[in-house]
Amino acid sequence: MANEPAVRYYKPRAEFKLDITDMENFVYDMSRCIKCKGCTWVDHTYMPGPKFMTRCPSAARYEFDAYGAYGKMRIGHAMAEGRLDWNDKALEVMYACTLCGACDVGCKRNLDLEIGLALESLRVKAVKDGVGPMPAHKKIADNIARHHNMYGASHEKRTQWLPQGMVPARQADLMYFAGCNASYVSKEIAQSTAKILKASGTEFMLMKDEWCCGNAVFSAGMFDEAKALAERNVAEVRKSGAKILLTSCAEGYRMWKVDYPKLLNISTDDLGFKVVHLVEFVKEKMEEGDLSMNKPFEGRVTYHDSCSLGRLSEPWTPYEGKRGWMGCVEPRLQRRRGANGVYSQPRDILKAIPGLELIEMPRMRENAFCCGAGRGTQEAFPEFAGWAAAHRLEEVKEIGAETLVSACPWCKNNFSQAVKAGNTHVQVLDISEVICASIEG
Amino acid sequence: MAISKEIYKVLEAVVGREYISDDPVICESYRSGPGGYENGLGYERVMTRVPGCVIMPRTTEEVQKIVKVCYRKDIPYVPYSTGFYGPRSHPHVENALLIDLKRMNDFILDEKHFYVEVGPGMIYSPIQEECMKHGAYVVIGGGGAQASAVANLIGDGWSPLSHRIGLPHRRILGTEVVMPDGEILRLGSLAEGEDPFWGEGPGPDLRGLLRGYTGLRGCLGIVTRMAIKTLPFQPERLEPTGISPNTALNLPEKRIKWINFTVPSKEAQVKAMREIGHAEIGGAVTKVPLFWRAIAKAESKEDFWDIWRKENEESIANFFIVRVLLIGYTSEEQMAYDERVLMDIMGELGGVARRTKPTDESWIKNADSAGMWLMCGGYVSLDYVIETLSQSTEHGQSYADLKKKYTPPLMPDYGDPGWFQSFELGHQGYSEFLIYWDPDGDTNPVDQFYVDTSKMNIKNRYYTSLLGPHQPLYLTGPKYGPNYHEFLLKVKNEFDPKWMSHPPVPLAHDVFVERAPWMHNMKDWESPDDLPK
Repeated sequence: MANEPAVRYYKPRAEFKLDITDMENFVYDMSRCIKCKGCTWVDHTYMPGPKFMTRCPSAARYEFDAYGAYGKMRIGHAMAEGRLDWNDKALEVMYACTLCGACDVGCKRNLDLEIGLALESLRVKAVKDGVGPMPAHKKIADNIARHHNMYGASHEKRTQWLPQGMVPARQADLMYFAGCNASYVSKEIAQSTAKILKASGTEFMLMKDEWCCGNAVFSAGMFDEAKALAERNVAEVRKSGAKILLTSCAEGYRMWKVDYPKLLNISTDDLGFKVVHLVEFVKEKMEEGDLSMNKPFEGRVTYHDSCSLGRLSEPWTPYEGKRGWMGCVEPRLQRRRGANGVYSQPRDILKAIPGLELIEMPRMRENAFCCGAGRGTQEAFPEFAGWAAAHRLEEVKEIGAETLVSACPWCKNNFSQAVKAGNTHVQVLDISEVICASIEG
Repeated sequence: MAISKEIYKVLEAVVGREYISDDPVICESYRSGPGGYENGLGYERVMTRVPGCVIMPRTTEEVQKIVKVCYRKDIPYVPYSTGFYGPRSHPHVENALLIDLKRMNDFILDEKHFYVEVGPGMIYSPIQEECMKHGAYVVIGGGGAQASAVANLIGDGWSPLSHRIGLPHRRILGTEVVMPDGEILRLGSLAEGEDPFWGEGPGPDLRGLLRGYTGLRGCLGIVTRMAIKTLPFQPERLEPTGISPNTALNLPEKRIKWINFTVPSKEAQVKAMREIGHAEIGGAVTKVPLFWRAIAKAESKEDFWDIWRKENEESIANFFIVRVLLIGYTSEEQMAYDERVLMDIMGELGGVARRTKPTDESWIKNADSAGMWLMCGGYVSLDYVIETLSQSTEHGQSYADLKKKYTPPLMPDYGDPGWFQSFELGHQGYSEFLIYWDPDGDTNPVDQFYVDTSKMNIKNRYYTSLLGPHQPLYLTGPKYGPNYHEFLLKVKNEFDPKWMSHPPVPLAHDVFVERAPWMHNMKDWESPDDLPK
């Protein structure tokens, strides 16, 4: 290269992979955290003022540095160096976290450290070391093993959400994967989704024998259990011949699009089918003129960005490389920074509905404050999940919205509980319900 | 002395069970390094310790009670707001109590009298946002939008906006300090009531002591409340745009705009800054290190090096840029006038306006110094000098020359003389020299460079703001005094006779030189034998 400095800079090269089964892959990232707390603060350009300054639920709730990514990186680094071992507090610190990706996006604003993967690898380590996951996660894993759903409900009842008289196709290009929550708890979301598909003239099929996606076990660090589910579910879709796998659950969407490829060490493009969330499907159908939403939905509505649909949803590509001088890597690594998440489609849909006034919360898109439910948090730390939802509802009240809309059953469920607990006068709906209500005919 | 169970219970009673912990996991999370400002260097490795206990007070009264317990029971303590300022703001002795002030994030804006009142847990960007909503603004210091405003102001907190606003620590008004022994000291009008709007009186005005003790770092007590003067801004909203990492503020073009000029020489650069100040126009006038332009263009670390390594000493030595921020404080007409004056000045100096984005990424609200770590992983602003405009450029060049001796391990910057700019409408010139290195390399020369720069400053008679705790006090004190060090130590002994508040600051760097074998050959100054061990 021209103008090479006179003094040769030499640095031994270290190989690494984006492989969460070995924490050593992320020790570099842990060692480079600078405590700027970009992981915790809202992007300063978007900083809304002194009231809603943070985007990390864990750091906001528990306040000690340990609960922010900057603390977890130091704890992880100390463990990697053998200076610190697991104890109850370490487990709480690592698991009382929604893995919502806010820290990862915040860090990649400036530093490109792989914070999200480092956190996942610490949970895998906890499981490997025999201390993790939390008891609630073990129960979920047991339920999935026995009943193929996380609740331990009857497997036979999984498709009972289907609206009366609606029969899915035996064979179709599109497969709808409802997931555990919409199958057993928030059935109205699965029902609305099915109606929207029908209204757009799209035939859909269900998986012949739908099992849990494994979100909670994967997020808890139970890599092997999650991988087995990924192998099974991906094989089922491939076998079915479906070209599109559609979800109405943000958590499920992330699992299929990002974490299954991660578990299987393949690219999202190599799945053999396309993973689509309902809002992407609806936006496309609107543009093609196959779906019109003409019935008014009167009111002031705000949209909550589900983490797994937004900042966590960029496709996955396996990576193996070398890190050398000044930490530069080769081959070049296309970082997942959260910039290409599904942010605009739900907003475009809501804006297209007559009578609906969409107003934004101070923290939105990549800066959104997680509802607190996702990635196994609600099960292991229900008080924390409730706190996070109540905190987010303060923002809803601040802007005077009457209805809070999200695109994930976990968000809806958690917000609904918080509304009830706080006696808050806010209507909570899933976007599938709003779309359904606005479809004419 | 370790914190006994008995004392722990006493402290727990002050803040509540939820806000104190001596769990090793919690304490480890407060480690200074291994990454971050000045971290990874010898100072961090030799001088910092994981705290023995962490406590999070919510009020001044709680801070006072905690400090009184510490003072009575001989427990060393360190106040901590955001922890961004590297090893200097972390414990230096075993079993220290770290007083985490993040819960003290109160914010009050007095729109009518143009000030804000904040606690030490409040950072800059929310302050700026709220100020701008009410037609005012402050300088977000180079420490960054994520820095505690209180900590940054009693240290050094300036930016290109200081061209007009001036040295931000001049804007400190009424201030409340919990002294090392637990007594509360209220400065300015706070001494006589609850209104902090005035700094000079009628109570004592020891602000000079706080800020003049640059690098106070908690060694003279804990600031629990501070009023900061704000200044009038233009009224239009600066709308945030983009998705992270590419976010910026859209600038309303008739009220605020950046213009980048290239000029033919360093002399023209300096003259432009002086003339712009003389004409009393502009909200900011600056020249930043040229590799910052590469950072702004790069999409990744590797991309940065691709861009930067195309430069060479000649290209750097012959590229002169002046960035000017115009602000129509009072009207569009005022800004149009300022722009005409600016163009006249730059025209006479041979300046050429370059295409400049109608956005602000860095200085008005974000000031995101975190990007400094992208290229190499290790960074520190080695020195800040406030001189005349022409002298400040000499300072930068002296640094660049000295730096060659230490490159590598320092990053190749092809002789870039650092950041310099106009302060206070050109009455002062500011020079900041930033260095970068790979923390995985041999960093001992970086420690040595730190001390060598002090010697260079002494030799060339540059005024540096990084005296005292940032350098060996017995090296700098006699040369800047002749009794500067004695004065500082007398103040310390008077306020904190037991040295419980962040020991061994202000002698920490002296102690470091003694403890680090690779620093011994640097020592050519006298110091007493009884330095703290």
